[in-house]
Amino acid sequence: MVRKIDKSKADAYFREKNTYMIIYFIIWALVSYGVVLIAEPLSDVYFNGFPFHYYMGAQGALAVFIILLFVNAIVGDKIDKKYGIDEKRNEEIGKTSVSEH
Amino acid sequence: MDSQFIVSLAIILATFALYIFIAVYNKAKETSDFYVAGRGVPPIWNGMAIGADWMSAASFIGMAGTIMMLGYDGLAYIMGWTGGYLLLTFLLAPQLRKSGCYTVPEFIGDRFKSNTALIIAAICTMIISFTYSIGQLSGSGVVIGRLFEIDAKLGTMIGVVLIAIYAAFGGMKGITWTQVAQYLVLIIAYLVPVIFMSLQITGNPLPWLTYGNIVSELGELDKQLGLSEYFAPFEKGTKWQFLALMFTLMAGTAGLPHVIARFYTVSTMKAARWSGAWALLFIGLLYFSAPAYAAFSRFILMTQVAGSKIAELPAWTKTWVDTGLLQVADTSGDGILQWNELIIANDIVVMATPEIANLGIFVIGLVAAGAMAAALSTAGGLLIAISSAFAHDIYYRILKPTATDKQRLTVGRITIVVATLLAGIVALNPPGAITQIVAWAFALATGTFFPALVLGVWWKRSNSKGLIAGLLVGLAVTLAYIFAAKYGGFTILGIIDTGAGVFGAAAAFAANIIVSLATKPPSQEIQDAVINLRYPEQMTYKNGEVFMED
Repeated sequence: MVRKIDKSKADAYFREKNTYMIIYFIIWALVSYGVVLIAEPLSDVYFNGFPFHYYMGAQGALAVFIILLFVNAIVGDKIDKKYGIDEKRNEEIGKTSVSEH
Repeated sequence: MDSQFIVSLAIILATFALYIFIAVYNKAKETSDFYVAGRGVPPIWNGMAIGADWMSAASFIGMAGTIMMLGYDGLAYIMGWTGGYLLLTFLLAPQLRKSGCYTVPEFIGDRFKSNTALIIAAICTMIISFTYSIGQLSGSGVVIGRLFEIDAKLGTMIGVVLIAIYAAFGGMKGITWTQVAQYLVLIIAYLVPVIFMSLQITGNPLPWLTYGNIVSELGELDKQLGLSEYFAPFEKGTKWQFLALMFTLMAGTAGLPHVIARFYTVSTMKAARWSGAWALLFIGLLYFSAPAYAAFSRFILMTQVAGSKIAELPAWTKTWVDTGLLQVADTSGDGILQWNELIIANDIVVMATPEIANLGIFVIGLVAAGAMAAALSTAGGLLIAISSAFAHDIYYRILKPTATDKQRLTVGRITIVVATLLAGIVALNPPGAITQIVAWAFALATGTFFPALVLGVWWKRSNSKGLIAGLLVGLAVTLAYIFAAKYGGFTILGIIDTGAGVFGAAAAFAANIIVSLATKPPSQEIQDAVINLRYPEQMTYKNGEVFMED
């Protein structure tokens, strides 16, 4: 069944997802580009045997990237639930909405 | 024939038999299956397949060696080749999945309602994927050639035949499950030697926790030799080159057609975001380990190999010296091999270290099988991308819209065979080092598809004229910078050819936005379709209103 919903509700969904996305990208940029920019002073700090700038390049940034992607997947599911999105319906629609060529 | 040869051959043949068995078992029957695996691959398995697609000969064979040579500056590859998954998973993958297209050029053709745009995008896809696959085929040639002690050219031809057979007959469905198997083989092959080396050196089986002290010790050893410390930043290039390379690798990841195509094989937008997360976790296992591999290799070379008597060097040195990739010269004439008298090529570090550390013939054979899995799995995904760009986007959508499924499948298979043979021929005399070719493919993706797709998905005002201007300008600027930096010695802020994507992307964004704004906005129908990509499948946007399907 197809029913019309308030556009402001759909936009709230879009805005909420974008807000999280912007937060993720700020963290993403800080741990990669941000750390590289101040690599020299960080090299005097040690962490788990590593100079800290080296640790971030070799493990830290990557670990944050993976965590952000899983947080995004889980938070995305929560937002879907909040707005009454049903994954089973999505799968059915996804199968049929494939452009016919 | 020595026992090493027999063991390596047996392991490689066993893994190949497995891949081919899976490909034949899943032989594609319909075109939909052939291109996107019937759109039902669960996120975890799709994540592994993305991992195998993604981790090429450059990641497996080249990366640890590059980090060993470049020290901290080499870590741009670690962050660049992984951080791109956030751009891809947040900005593009779910939206492209909702569009319901089969390929990147098709999305561009539909989004901009322009056959010219479709053709340019299809050609860009073919250029990028072809460039990339040359590197993979020549990588497989080096491994096969070294292993069986035959000419690398003959090795390349063997790789060409293998990849053409299973890509053409299995289609992507064959490849998806084949790639899951390839992922498992390559990750085991990479982790086993790192764990063994960690046990040998630190007595701890978890290299990720212990190699920090080795990195610091390497810095001390360098200091004693009067060299700059291993971990000192920006010794091999400027800070700007580091940042530009990292950006190029990240944005290129989000713009590579064969990687994006993987996200069409999931069922929904939700599955797309989970696939991205699983993919980076599986890829991360290798990327976490590569700097450890580099540190252990350098430590073993500095403490166990350097300082030994030239006359008493172990057997492995001779085999590798014979390949021309390792040089030991007693320039000081004291009969002792000094660290600075040992010249080792980047690309043999991963292959040679198990021999150097004496990890046994089984581990050495396993590493060879993993390297082959990395090269061939990526080549498979690239060839599917080339095949769909031609058979689906150019042949079916432009040349012959009346073609039957069977004709399209046939054209797709012929394309794969022809592209493989052509790439194989170029790979016999590659135009540059493998890592160099791969970096150019990333720069081209950064300069073309990354701006085109980001604006296409997120900015409804972007129109076909802007898109075409962006693609052409981005392609031209990226190519021009690569050539000017590589052959003309022209650089800006010390950014060399591998960082060229920064300039290509900037020019492409500017061209797309300026030309779009200077010309007519796209039709209301197109703008509605772009807004529609914001919402999940159940919500549909039409004429300013949103409809929900329950």
